[in-house]
Amino acid sequence: MKAPSPSTLLAAAVLFVTSSAGASPETQPATASVTEVVTSTTKQDVEIGLMYNGDYIYFFGSVPEPGADVIVKLTSTDDTPITVNRKGKVGLFWMNVKQFSVTGLPLVYKLHSTRPIAQIVDPALAAELGIGYDVLKQRMQLKLERGSAESDDRDMVFDGVLRLKKEANLYNVDEKRIEVTGGKIFKHYFRFPPAAKEGTYTAESYIIKDGKLIARGIDMIKIQKSGVEAAFTNLAQKHSVLYGIFCVVIALGMGLLVGVIFKKGGGH
Amino acid sequence: MDVYLPVAGMSMNIFLLVGLGAMVGFMSGLFGVGGGFIMTPLMMMAGIPPAVAAASDSNQIVAGAASGAYAHWRLRNVDIKMGLVLLIGGLVGGTIGVQLVKLLRELGNIEFVMKALYVLMLSTIGGAMFWESLQTLRRSRRQAATPPRETKHRVSIWSRLPLQMTFAQSNLRTSAIFPFIIAMFVGLLAAILGVGGGFIMVPAMIYVIGMPTIVAVGTDLFQIVITTANVTLQQAVANHTVDLLLAMLLLIGSTVGAQFGARVGRRLRGEQIRILLAIIVLVFAVKFVFDLLLQPDNLIAVAGGHGGGH
Repeated sequence: MKAPSPSTLLAAAVLFVTSSAGASPETQPATASVTEVVTSTTKQDVEIGLMYNGDYIYFFGSVPEPGADVIVKLTSTDDTPITVNRKGKVGLFWMNVKQFSVTGLPLVYKLHSTRPIAQIVDPALAAELGIGYDVLKQRMQLKLERGSAESDDRDMVFDGVLRLKKEANLYNVDEKRIEVTGGKIFKHYFRFPPAAKEGTYTAESYIIKDGKLIARGIDMIKIQKSGVEAAFTNLAQKHSVLYGIFCVVIALGMGLLVGVIFKKGGGH
Repeated sequence: MDVYLPVAGMSMNIFLLVGLGAMVGFMSGLFGVGGGFIMTPLMMMAGIPPAVAAASDSNQIVAGAASGAYAHWRLRNVDIKMGLVLLIGGLVGGTIGVQLVKLLRELGNIEFVMKALYVLMLSTIGGAMFWESLQTLRRSRRQAATPPRETKHRVSIWSRLPLQMTFAQSNLRTSAIFPFIIAMFVGLLAAILGVGGGFIMVPAMIYVIGMPTIVAVGTDLFQIVITTANVTLQQAVANHTVDLLLAMLLLIGSTVGAQFGARVGRRLRGEQIRILLAIIVLVFAVKFVFDLLLQPDNLIAVAGGHGGGH
Protein backbone atom coordinates (compact mmCIF):
# COMPACT_ATOMS: atom_id res chain seq x y z
CA MET A 1 0.00 0.00 0.00
CA LYS A 2 2.64 2.51 0.97
CA ALA A 3 5.82 1.96 -0.95
CA PRO A 4 8.94 3.90 0.07
CA SER A 5 8.71 7.33 -1.43
CA PRO A 6 11.05 8.26 -4.29
CA SER A 7 11.13 5.27 -6.56
CA THR A 8 11.95 5.40 -10.22
CA LEU A 9 9.57 4.28 -12.87
CA LEU A 10 11.69 1.24 -13.64
CA ALA A 11 12.05 0.14 -10.06
CA ALA A 12 8.38 0.67 -9.53
CA ALA A 13 7.53 -1.32 -12.60
CA VAL A 14 9.65 -4.27 -11.47
CA LEU A 15 8.14 -4.10 -8.02
CA PHE A 16 4.64 -4.19 -9.36
CA VAL A 17 5.17 -7.03 -11.77
CA THR A 18 6.46 -9.17 -8.95
CA SER A 19 3.93 -8.08 -6.41
CA SER A 20 1.01 -8.45 -8.74
CA ALA A 21 2.23 -11.92 -9.60
CA GLY A 22 2.35 -12.67 -5.90
CA ALA A 23 -1.09 -11.29 -5.38
CA SER A 24 -2.70 -13.15 -8.21
CA PRO A 25 -4.11 -16.30 -6.66
CA GLU A 26 -7.10 -14.44 -5.31
CA THR A 27 -9.76 -13.32 -7.65
CA GLN A 28 -12.21 -15.48 -9.44
CA PRO A 29 -14.76 -14.20 -7.08
CA ALA A 30 -18.06 -15.78 -6.57
CA THR A 31 -18.76 -13.09 -4.00
CA ALA A 32 -16.64 -10.33 -5.54
CA SER A 33 -14.15 -10.22 -2.70
CA VAL A 34 -12.11 -7.06 -2.97
CA THR A 35 -8.37 -7.31 -2.57
CA GLU A 36 -5.78 -4.66 -2.09
CA VAL A 37 -3.91 -3.52 -5.12
CA VAL A 38 -0.30 -2.46 -4.82
CA THR A 39 0.23 1.13 -5.82
CA SER A 40 2.96 3.71 -5.51
CA THR A 41 3.79 7.30 -6.31
CA THR A 42 6.86 9.28 -7.27
CA LYS A 43 6.43 11.31 -4.12
CA GLN A 44 4.24 11.43 -1.08
CA ASP A 45 5.21 14.79 0.29
CA VAL A 46 4.92 18.00 -1.64
CA GLU A 47 6.57 21.05 -0.22
CA ILE A 48 5.22 24.48 -0.98
CA GLY A 49 8.33 26.64 -1.32
CA LEU A 50 8.81 30.12 -2.73
CA MET A 51 8.62 28.90 -6.31
CA TYR A 52 5.76 26.44 -5.86
CA ASN A 53 3.55 26.38 -8.91
CA GLY A 54 1.68 23.19 -8.38
CA ASP A 55 3.24 19.78 -8.96
CA TYR A 56 3.05 16.64 -11.07
CA ILE A 57 2.96 13.32 -9.33
CA TYR A 58 3.11 9.98 -11.07
CA PHE A 59 1.02 7.12 -9.77
CA PHE A 60 1.68 3.46 -10.50
CA GLY A 61 -0.22 0.34 -9.70
CA SER A 62 -0.67 -3.27 -10.57
CA VAL A 63 -3.65 -4.70 -12.39
CA PRO A 64 -4.31 -8.15 -10.92
CA GLU A 65 -6.33 -9.43 -13.85
CA PRO A 66 -5.76 -8.76 -17.52
CA GLY A 67 -8.52 -6.86 -19.19
CA ALA A 68 -9.61 -5.09 -16.01
CA ASP A 69 -10.29 -1.36 -16.03
CA VAL A 70 -8.79 1.20 -13.73
CA ILE A 71 -10.36 4.30 -12.23
CA VAL A 72 -8.34 6.53 -9.95
CA LYS A 73 -10.01 9.18 -7.84
CA LEU A 74 -8.00 12.02 -6.33
CA THR A 75 -9.71 14.00 -3.60
CA SER A 76 -8.70 16.28 -0.81
CA THR A 77 -9.73 15.63 2.74
CA ASP A 78 -10.38 19.35 2.87
CA ASP A 79 -14.10 19.82 2.35
CA THR A 80 -14.57 23.06 4.23
CA PRO A 81 -18.01 24.55 3.59
CA ILE A 82 -18.03 27.32 1.05
CA THR A 83 -20.32 30.31 0.82
CA VAL A 84 -21.81 30.85 -2.59
CA ASN A 85 -23.75 33.81 -3.94
CA ARG A 86 -26.26 33.63 -6.74
CA LYS A 87 -26.73 36.75 -8.82
CA GLY A 88 -30.00 37.78 -10.34
CA LYS A 89 -31.44 40.76 -12.12
CA VAL A 90 -33.26 43.30 -10.02
CA GLY A 91 -34.64 46.07 -12.20
CA LEU A 92 -31.74 47.14 -14.38
CA PHE A 93 -29.04 45.83 -12.13
CA TRP A 94 -27.34 42.53 -11.38
CA MET A 95 -26.97 41.87 -7.70
CA ASN A 96 -26.60 39.01 -5.27
CA VAL A 97 -30.11 37.75 -4.71
CA LYS A 98 -29.34 34.78 -2.52
CA GLN A 99 -26.63 33.10 -0.60
CA PHE A 100 -25.99 29.44 0.10
CA SER A 101 -23.74 27.52 2.37
CA VAL A 102 -22.43 24.51 0.46
CA THR A 103 -21.01 21.43 2.16
CA GLY A 104 -19.85 18.06 0.94
CA LEU A 105 -17.73 19.24 -1.97
CA PRO A 106 -14.01 18.50 -1.68
CA LEU A 107 -11.47 21.20 -2.56
CA VAL A 108 -9.98 18.91 -5.22
CA TYR A 109 -11.70 16.18 -7.22
CA LYS A 110 -10.06 14.44 -10.17
CA LEU A 111 -10.86 11.21 -11.95
CA HIS A 112 -8.65 9.29 -14.33
CA SER A 113 -9.70 6.11 -16.05
CA THR A 114 -8.83 3.70 -18.82
CA ARG A 115 -12.03 4.36 -20.79
CA PRO A 116 -15.32 6.20 -20.40
CA ILE A 117 -16.48 5.70 -16.83
CA ALA A 118 -20.07 4.97 -17.82
CA GLN A 119 -18.80 1.90 -19.65
CA ILE A 120 -16.83 0.66 -16.64
CA VAL A 121 -19.23 1.01 -13.71
CA ASP A 122 -22.98 1.14 -13.34
CA PRO A 123 -24.56 4.04 -11.47
CA ALA A 124 -25.00 2.02 -8.29
CA LEU A 125 -21.31 1.14 -8.00
CA ALA A 126 -20.34 4.67 -9.04
CA ALA A 127 -22.47 6.06 -6.22
CA GLU A 128 -20.95 3.62 -3.75
CA LEU A 129 -17.40 4.53 -4.71
CA GLY A 130 -18.09 8.25 -5.14
CA ILE A 131 -17.18 8.31 -8.80
CA GLY A 132 -18.45 11.04 -11.11
CA TYR A 133 -19.83 14.56 -10.91
CA ASP A 134 -23.38 13.20 -10.59
CA VAL A 135 -22.44 11.50 -7.37
CA LEU A 136 -20.79 14.68 -6.10
CA LYS A 137 -23.94 16.58 -6.91
CA GLN A 138 -25.99 14.11 -4.89
CA ARG A 139 -23.61 14.46 -1.97
CA MET A 140 -23.64 18.24 -2.08
CA GLN A 141 -25.66 19.78 0.70
CA LEU A 142 -27.17 23.14 0.12
CA LYS A 143 -28.39 25.47 2.80
CA LEU A 144 -30.15 28.64 1.80
CA GLU A 145 -28.76 31.45 3.94
CA ARG A 146 -30.52 34.35 2.31
CA GLY A 147 -33.16 34.92 -0.34
CA SER A 148 -35.97 32.66 -1.43
CA ALA A 149 -35.64 29.10 -2.68
CA GLU A 150 -36.18 28.17 -6.32
CA SER A 151 -36.44 24.79 -7.95
CA ASP A 152 -33.27 25.23 -10.01
CA ASP A 153 -31.08 26.31 -7.10
CA ARG A 154 -29.31 22.98 -6.84
CA ASP A 155 -28.49 22.78 -10.54
CA MET A 156 -27.43 26.42 -10.72
CA VAL A 157 -25.13 26.21 -7.71
CA PHE A 158 -23.56 22.90 -8.65
CA ASP A 159 -22.97 23.88 -12.26
CA GLY A 160 -21.59 27.28 -11.28
CA VAL A 161 -19.23 25.88 -8.67
CA LEU A 162 -18.17 23.07 -11.00
CA ARG A 163 -17.25 25.62 -13.63
CA LEU A 164 -15.16 27.62 -11.17
CA LYS A 165 -13.45 24.45 -9.98
CA LYS A 166 -12.69 23.34 -13.52
CA GLU A 167 -11.29 26.76 -14.39
CA ALA A 168 -8.90 26.50 -11.44
CA ASN A 169 -8.02 22.93 -12.52
CA LEU A 170 -9.19 21.71 -9.14
CA TYR A 171 -11.76 19.39 -10.71
CA ASN A 172 -11.38 17.38 -13.84
CA VAL A 173 -12.29 14.06 -15.37
CA ASP A 174 -10.01 12.47 -17.93
CA GLU A 175 -11.36 9.19 -19.22
CA LYS A 176 -8.38 8.23 -21.36
CA ARG A 177 -5.51 9.17 -19.10
CA ILE A 178 -4.65 5.75 -17.75
CA GLU A 179 -2.83 3.21 -19.86
CA VAL A 180 -2.27 -0.34 -18.76
CA THR A 181 1.12 -1.60 -19.87
CA GLY A 182 1.25 -5.26 -20.79
CA GLY A 183 -2.10 -5.76 -19.10
CA LYS A 184 -0.38 -5.61 -15.72
CA ILE A 185 0.80 -2.16 -14.74
CA PHE A 186 -1.00 1.12 -14.94
CA LYS A 187 0.62 4.51 -14.67
CA HIS A 188 -0.50 8.10 -15.00
CA TYR A 189 0.12 11.43 -13.37
CA PHE A 190 -2.04 13.93 -11.56
CA ARG A 191 -1.40 17.61 -11.92
CA PHE A 192 -1.73 19.34 -8.55
CA PRO A 193 -2.68 22.90 -9.49
CA PRO A 194 -1.19 25.88 -7.59
CA ALA A 195 -4.60 26.30 -5.98
CA ALA A 196 -4.20 22.89 -4.30
CA LYS A 197 -3.57 24.07 -0.79
CA GLU A 198 -1.89 22.44 2.19
CA GLY A 199 -3.54 19.31 3.37
CA THR A 200 -3.87 15.61 2.82
CA TYR A 201 -4.94 14.23 -0.53
CA THR A 202 -5.94 10.66 -1.26
CA ALA A 203 -5.65 8.86 -4.57
CA GLU A 204 -7.93 5.83 -4.55
CA SER A 205 -7.36 3.28 -7.27
CA TYR A 206 -10.24 1.00 -8.24
CA ILE A 207 -9.70 -2.05 -10.41
CA ILE A 208 -12.95 -3.04 -12.01
CA LYS A 209 -13.83 -5.98 -14.21
CA ASP A 210 -17.20 -6.82 -15.66
CA GLY A 211 -18.77 -4.06 -13.62
CA LYS A 212 -17.43 -5.45 -10.35
CA LEU A 213 -14.82 -4.00 -8.06
CA ILE A 214 -12.05 -6.57 -7.75
CA ALA A 215 -9.28 -4.62 -6.08
CA ARG A 216 -8.55 -1.22 -4.62
CA GLY A 217 -5.64 0.75 -3.23
CA ILE A 218 -4.98 4.04 -1.54
CA ASP A 219 -2.10 6.49 -1.71
CA MET A 220 -1.81 9.52 0.50
CA ILE A 221 -0.16 12.73 -0.61
CA LYS A 222 0.64 15.41 1.87
CA ILE A 223 1.10 19.00 0.78
CA GLN A 224 2.67 21.39 3.22
CA LYS A 225 4.50 24.68 3.28
CA SER A 226 8.22 24.79 3.95
CA GLY A 227 10.90 27.38 4.67
CA VAL A 228 9.91 31.01 4.23
CA GLU A 229 6.36 30.07 3.23
CA ALA A 230 5.84 28.08 6.40
CA ALA A 231 7.41 30.82 8.52
CA PHE A 232 5.18 33.54 7.07
CA THR A 233 2.03 31.48 7.43
CA ASN A 234 2.86 30.44 10.94
CA LEU A 235 3.61 34.01 12.00
CA ALA A 236 0.47 35.36 10.32
CA GLN A 237 -1.78 32.78 11.96
CA LYS A 238 -0.27 32.39 15.41
CA HIS A 239 1.40 35.69 16.18
CA SER A 240 -0.84 38.01 14.25
CA VAL A 241 -0.12 41.18 16.23
CA LEU A 242 3.60 40.73 15.82
CA TYR A 243 3.09 39.90 12.16
CA GLY A 244 0.95 43.00 11.61
CA ILE A 245 3.55 45.26 13.22
CA PHE A 246 6.28 43.53 11.20
CA CYS A 247 4.35 44.19 7.97
CA VAL A 248 3.88 47.88 8.80
CA VAL A 249 7.50 48.39 9.86
CA ILE A 250 8.85 46.73 6.72
CA ALA A 251 6.58 48.84 4.52
CA LEU A 252 7.51 52.08 6.32
CA GLY A 253 11.19 51.19 6.19
CA MET A 254 11.12 50.38 2.50
CA GLY A 255 9.15 53.51 1.66
CA LEU A 256 11.54 55.80 3.53
CA LEU A 257 14.60 53.95 2.24
CA VAL A 258 13.52 54.49 -1.34
CA GLY A 259 12.77 58.12 -0.50
CA VAL A 260 16.29 58.63 0.86
CA ILE A 261 17.92 56.81 -2.06
CA PHE A 262 16.10 59.01 -4.52
CA LYS A 263 17.01 62.13 -2.60
CA LYS A 264 20.70 61.28 -2.80
CA GLY A 265 20.58 60.16 -6.40
CA GLY A 266 18.44 62.96 -7.74
CA GLY A 267 19.80 66.20 -6.25
CA HIS A 268 17.17 68.91 -6.06
CA MET B 1 9.01 33.52 -13.02
CA ASP B 2 6.38 32.54 -10.48
CA VAL B 3 6.29 33.00 -6.75
CA TYR B 4 3.95 31.34 -4.26
CA LEU B 5 2.05 33.75 -2.01
CA PRO B 6 1.71 32.13 1.41
CA VAL B 7 -1.42 33.84 2.72
CA ALA B 8 -3.22 34.18 -0.61
CA GLY B 9 -2.44 30.51 -1.24
CA MET B 10 -1.63 30.83 -4.94
CA SER B 11 1.27 31.34 -7.28
CA MET B 12 1.73 34.43 -9.43
CA ASN B 13 4.21 35.97 -11.82
CA ILE B 14 6.76 38.20 -10.05
CA PHE B 15 7.08 40.74 -12.86
CA LEU B 16 3.34 41.15 -13.14
CA LEU B 17 3.14 42.02 -9.45
CA VAL B 18 6.10 44.42 -9.48
CA GLY B 19 4.75 46.06 -12.64
CA LEU B 20 1.29 46.52 -11.11
CA GLY B 21 2.93 48.09 -8.07
CA ALA B 22 5.00 50.49 -10.17
CA MET B 23 2.00 51.67 -12.13
CA VAL B 24 -0.15 52.32 -9.10
CA GLY B 25 2.79 53.83 -7.17
CA PHE B 26 3.38 56.33 -9.94
CA MET B 27 -0.22 57.48 -9.71
CA SER B 28 0.02 57.60 -5.95
CA GLY B 29 2.99 59.96 -6.08
CA LEU B 30 1.44 62.09 -8.78
CA PHE B 31 -2.06 62.51 -7.40
CA GLY B 32 -1.59 61.85 -3.72
CA VAL B 33 -4.12 59.06 -3.77
CA GLY B 34 -3.35 55.71 -2.22
CA GLY B 35 -4.41 53.90 -5.36
CA GLY B 36 -6.44 51.37 -3.38
CA PHE B 37 -9.47 51.88 -5.54
CA ILE B 38 -7.47 50.83 -8.60
CA MET B 39 -5.07 48.28 -7.16
CA THR B 40 -7.60 46.12 -5.33
CA PRO B 41 -9.84 45.54 -8.37
CA LEU B 42 -6.74 44.80 -10.49
CA MET B 43 -5.53 42.19 -8.00
CA MET B 44 -8.97 40.65 -7.85
CA MET B 45 -8.96 40.38 -11.63
CA ALA B 46 -5.65 38.51 -11.33
CA GLY B 47 -7.43 35.95 -9.15
CA ILE B 48 -6.31 36.98 -5.66
CA PRO B 49 -9.10 36.50 -3.09
CA PRO B 50 -10.79 39.89 -2.47
CA ALA B 51 -10.13 39.93 1.28
CA VAL B 52 -6.42 39.21 0.80
CA ALA B 53 -6.20 41.71 -2.06
CA ALA B 54 -7.71 44.53 0.01
CA ALA B 55 -5.63 43.85 3.13
CA SER B 56 -2.32 43.35 1.32
CA ASP B 57 -2.99 46.44 -0.71
CA SER B 58 -3.30 48.48 2.50
CA ASN B 59 0.07 47.13 3.59
CA GLN B 60 1.62 48.03 0.26
CA ILE B 61 0.15 51.53 0.31
CA VAL B 62 1.94 52.23 3.61
CA ALA B 63 5.23 52.02 1.74
CA GLY B 64 4.17 53.85 -1.40
CA ALA B 65 2.60 56.65 0.62
CA ALA B 66 5.57 56.90 3.00
CA SER B 67 7.89 57.25 0.05
CA GLY B 68 5.63 59.83 -1.61
CA ALA B 69 4.98 61.71 1.63
CA TYR B 70 8.71 61.93 2.25
CA ALA B 71 9.29 63.37 -1.22
CA HIS B 72 6.52 65.93 -0.72
CA TRP B 73 7.71 66.76 2.77
CA ARG B 74 11.11 67.69 1.41
CA LEU B 75 9.41 69.91 -1.13
CA ARG B 76 7.44 71.54 1.76
CA ASN B 77 4.13 70.29 0.48
CA VAL B 78 2.93 68.70 3.72
CA ASP B 79 0.72 70.66 6.11
CA ILE B 80 1.26 68.54 9.20
CA LYS B 81 -1.15 70.54 11.33
CA MET B 82 -3.94 70.17 8.79
CA GLY B 83 -2.98 66.52 8.32
CA LEU B 84 -3.47 65.79 12.01
CA VAL B 85 -6.86 67.50 12.13
CA LEU B 86 -7.96 65.52 9.07
CA LEU B 87 -6.57 62.35 10.57
CA ILE B 88 -8.65 62.66 13.73
CA GLY B 89 -11.76 63.42 11.70
CA GLY B 90 -11.03 60.48 9.41
CA LEU B 91 -10.58 58.07 12.31
CA VAL B 92 -13.91 59.11 13.88
CA GLY B 93 -15.71 58.82 10.54
CA GLY B 94 -14.02 55.51 9.76
CA THR B 95 -15.09 53.98 13.05
CA ILE B 96 -18.71 54.94 12.41
CA GLY B 97 -18.36 53.67 8.85
CA VAL B 98 -17.13 50.23 9.94
CA GLN B 99 -20.24 49.84 12.08
CA LEU B 100 -22.40 50.89 9.14
CA VAL B 101 -20.69 48.28 6.97
CA LYS B 102 -21.51 45.64 9.55
CA LEU B 103 -25.15 46.67 9.48
CA LEU B 104 -25.28 46.75 5.67
CA ARG B 105 -23.67 43.33 5.46
CA GLU B 106 -26.32 41.86 7.71
CA LEU B 107 -28.97 43.32 5.43
CA GLY B 108 -27.25 41.66 2.46
CA ASN B 109 -26.00 42.99 -0.85
CA ILE B 110 -23.22 45.15 0.55
CA GLU B 111 -21.43 44.51 -2.74
CA PHE B 112 -24.19 46.20 -4.68
CA VAL B 113 -24.36 49.13 -2.27
CA MET B 114 -20.59 49.53 -2.59
CA LYS B 115 -20.62 49.54 -6.36
CA ALA B 116 -23.59 51.89 -6.60
CA LEU B 117 -21.88 54.26 -4.15
CA TYR B 118 -18.69 54.02 -6.20
CA VAL B 119 -20.55 55.02 -9.34
CA LEU B 120 -22.22 57.97 -7.61
CA MET B 121 -19.06 59.20 -5.92
CA LEU B 122 -16.69 58.65 -8.80
CA SER B 123 -18.89 60.19 -11.46
CA THR B 124 -19.72 63.24 -9.33
CA ILE B 125 -16.15 63.89 -8.26
CA GLY B 126 -14.65 63.00 -11.62
CA GLY B 127 -17.18 65.04 -13.55
CA ALA B 128 -16.82 68.12 -11.34
CA MET B 129 -13.03 67.98 -11.38
CA PHE B 130 -12.90 67.43 -15.10
CA TRP B 131 -15.18 70.40 -15.79
CA GLU B 132 -13.40 72.73 -13.39
CA SER B 133 -9.90 71.86 -14.62
CA LEU B 134 -10.98 72.23 -18.21
CA GLN B 135 -12.32 75.73 -17.48
CA THR B 136 -9.11 76.68 -15.68
CA LEU B 137 -6.98 75.34 -18.51
CA ARG B 138 -8.96 77.30 -21.08
CA ARG B 139 -8.85 80.46 -19.03
CA SER B 140 -5.13 80.31 -18.44
CA ARG B 141 -4.55 79.68 -22.10
CA ARG B 142 -6.54 82.77 -23.03
CA GLN B 143 -4.81 85.06 -20.58
CA ALA B 144 -1.40 83.52 -20.24
CA ALA B 145 -0.03 86.35 -18.16
CA THR B 146 -2.51 86.02 -15.27
CA PRO B 147 -1.07 84.04 -12.36
CA PRO B 148 -3.15 80.94 -11.53
CA ARG B 149 -5.59 81.68 -8.75
CA GLU B 150 -5.66 79.25 -5.87
CA THR B 151 -8.98 80.39 -4.51
CA LYS B 152 -9.95 80.21 -0.88
CA HIS B 153 -13.50 78.94 -0.95
CA ARG B 154 -16.26 79.68 1.51
CA VAL B 155 -14.11 80.20 4.58
CA SER B 156 -16.14 83.13 5.88
CA ILE B 157 -18.81 81.21 7.81
CA TRP B 158 -16.19 79.05 9.42
CA SER B 159 -14.04 81.97 10.45
CA ARG B 160 -16.56 82.82 13.20
CA LEU B 161 -16.59 79.35 14.78
CA PRO B 162 -14.35 78.53 17.75
CA LEU B 163 -11.04 76.64 17.51
CA GLN B 164 -9.56 79.03 14.98
CA MET B 165 -6.26 77.81 13.62
CA THR B 166 -3.72 79.05 11.15
CA PHE B 167 -2.58 76.49 8.63
CA ALA B 168 0.58 78.11 7.37
CA GLN B 169 1.45 75.61 4.63
CA SER B 170 -2.06 75.73 3.23
CA ASN B 171 -2.20 79.51 3.56
CA LEU B 172 -5.51 79.25 5.44
CA ARG B 173 -7.01 80.50 8.65
CA THR B 174 -10.17 78.74 9.66
CA SER B 175 -11.92 76.82 12.41
CA ALA B 176 -10.52 73.33 13.01
CA ILE B 177 -14.11 72.08 13.17
CA PHE B 178 -14.46 72.62 9.44
CA PRO B 179 -11.74 70.26 8.12
CA PHE B 180 -12.63 67.86 10.94
CA ILE B 181 -16.21 67.49 9.69
CA ILE B 182 -15.08 67.10 6.08
CA ALA B 183 -12.56 64.43 7.09
CA MET B 184 -15.17 62.62 9.16
CA PHE B 185 -17.50 62.45 6.20
CA VAL B 186 -14.73 61.21 3.91
CA GLY B 187 -13.64 58.65 6.50
CA LEU B 188 -17.19 57.36 6.68
CA LEU B 189 -17.41 56.92 2.91
CA ALA B 190 -13.93 55.42 2.72
CA ALA B 191 -14.83 52.76 5.27
CA ILE B 192 -17.99 51.80 3.39
CA LEU B 193 -16.12 51.61 0.11
CA GLY B 194 -13.17 49.80 1.68
CA VAL B 195 -10.53 52.18 0.38
CA GLY B 196 -8.12 54.72 1.82
CA GLY B 197 -10.22 57.56 0.50
CA GLY B 198 -7.49 59.66 -1.09
CA PHE B 199 -9.50 60.03 -4.26
CA ILE B 200 -12.31 61.65 -2.28
CA MET B 201 -10.12 63.47 0.22
CA VAL B 202 -7.88 65.25 -2.26
CA PRO B 203 -10.75 66.87 -4.19
CA ALA B 204 -12.43 67.71 -0.87
CA MET B 205 -9.27 69.42 0.36
CA ILE B 206 -8.91 71.39 -2.86
CA TYR B 207 -12.50 72.36 -3.53
CA VAL B 208 -14.18 72.39 -0.13
CA ILE B 209 -11.42 73.32 2.31
CA GLY B 210 -9.60 75.43 -0.27
CA MET B 211 -6.04 74.12 0.03
CA PRO B 212 -3.53 74.54 -2.82
CA THR B 213 -3.49 71.37 -4.98
CA ILE B 214 0.10 70.38 -4.32
CA VAL B 215 -0.23 70.84 -0.53
CA ALA B 216 -3.46 68.82 -0.59
CA VAL B 217 -1.59 65.99 -2.32
CA GLY B 218 1.34 66.05 0.12
CA THR B 219 -0.86 66.33 3.19
CA ASP B 220 -3.11 63.52 2.04
CA LEU B 221 -0.11 61.20 1.55
CA PHE B 222 1.01 61.97 5.09
CA GLN B 223 -2.43 61.07 6.36
CA ILE B 224 -2.63 57.91 4.25
CA VAL B 225 0.57 56.53 5.80
CA ILE B 226 -1.02 56.58 9.22
CA THR B 227 -4.48 55.31 8.27
CA THR B 228 -3.22 52.43 6.12
CA ALA B 229 -0.73 51.38 8.80
CA ASN B 230 -3.69 51.14 11.16
CA VAL B 231 -5.77 49.14 8.65
CA THR B 232 -2.88 46.74 7.96
CA LEU B 233 -2.51 46.00 11.64
CA GLN B 234 -6.26 45.54 12.14
CA GLN B 235 -6.56 43.23 9.13
CA ALA B 236 -3.56 41.15 10.21
CA VAL B 237 -5.00 40.66 13.67
CA ALA B 238 -8.70 40.28 12.88
CA ASN B 239 -8.74 38.51 9.52
CA HIS B 240 -5.25 37.08 8.87
CA THR B 241 -5.49 38.39 5.33
CA VAL B 242 -2.25 40.39 4.96
CA ASP B 243 0.11 38.62 2.56
CA LEU B 244 3.48 40.22 3.26
CA LEU B 245 5.17 38.56 0.29
CA LEU B 246 2.51 39.90 -2.04
CA ALA B 247 2.70 43.33 -0.43
CA MET B 248 6.51 43.38 -0.66
CA LEU B 249 6.53 42.62 -4.37
CA LEU B 250 3.92 45.28 -5.00
CA LEU B 251 5.72 47.81 -2.86
CA ILE B 252 9.06 47.28 -4.58
CA GLY B 253 7.28 48.58 -7.65
CA SER B 254 5.16 51.18 -5.92
CA THR B 255 7.88 52.90 -3.86
CA VAL B 256 9.96 53.50 -6.96
CA GLY B 257 6.88 54.48 -8.95
CA ALA B 258 5.82 56.98 -6.28
CA GLN B 259 9.13 58.82 -6.53
CA PHE B 260 8.75 59.26 -10.26
CA GLY B 261 5.14 60.28 -9.75
CA ALA B 262 6.09 63.04 -7.30
CA ARG B 263 8.75 64.30 -9.75
CA VAL B 264 6.39 64.42 -12.70
CA GLY B 265 3.85 66.10 -10.41
CA ARG B 266 6.26 68.99 -9.83
CA ARG B 267 6.50 69.68 -13.54
CA LEU B 268 2.74 69.78 -14.04
CA ARG B 269 0.40 72.58 -13.06
CA GLY B 270 -2.38 71.98 -10.55
CA GLU B 271 -5.16 71.88 -13.13
CA GLN B 272 -3.21 69.45 -15.31
CA ILE B 273 -2.87 67.03 -12.40
CA ARG B 274 -6.55 67.46 -11.63
CA ILE B 275 -7.73 66.77 -15.15
CA LEU B 276 -5.65 63.58 -15.33
CA LEU B 277 -7.04 62.37 -12.02
CA ALA B 278 -10.54 63.28 -13.19
CA ILE B 279 -10.16 61.13 -16.31
CA ILE B 280 -8.96 58.10 -14.34
CA VAL B 281 -11.77 58.51 -11.82
CA LEU B 282 -14.33 58.68 -14.64
CA VAL B 283 -12.93 55.57 -16.34
CA PHE B 284 -13.46 53.63 -13.14
CA ALA B 285 -16.96 55.01 -12.73
CA VAL B 286 -17.82 53.70 -16.20
CA LYS B 287 -16.32 50.32 -15.35
CA PHE B 288 -18.55 49.99 -12.30
CA VAL B 289 -21.62 51.00 -14.27
CA PHE B 290 -20.90 48.12 -16.66
CA ASP B 291 -20.40 45.79 -13.70
CA LEU B 292 -23.86 46.60 -12.47
CA LEU B 293 -25.63 46.46 -15.82
CA LEU B 294 -24.06 43.56 -17.71
CA GLN B 295 -24.97 40.00 -17.03
CA PRO B 296 -22.11 38.35 -15.17
CA ASP B 297 -20.36 35.48 -16.92
CA ASN B 298 -21.05 33.09 -14.08
CA LEU B 299 -24.10 33.78 -11.94
CA ILE B 300 -22.61 31.73 -9.16
CA ALA B 301 -19.66 33.15 -7.25
CA VAL B 302 -17.84 31.84 -4.23
CA ALA B 303 -17.84 34.47 -1.52
CA GLY B 304 -14.19 34.61 -0.51
CA GLY B 305 -15.04 36.84 2.41
CA HIS B 306 -15.34 39.86 0.16
CA GLY B 307 -13.99 42.98 1.81
CA GLY B 308 -13.60 40.90 4.98
CA GLY B 309 -13.84 43.67 7.53
CA HIS B 310 -12.20 46.81 6.25
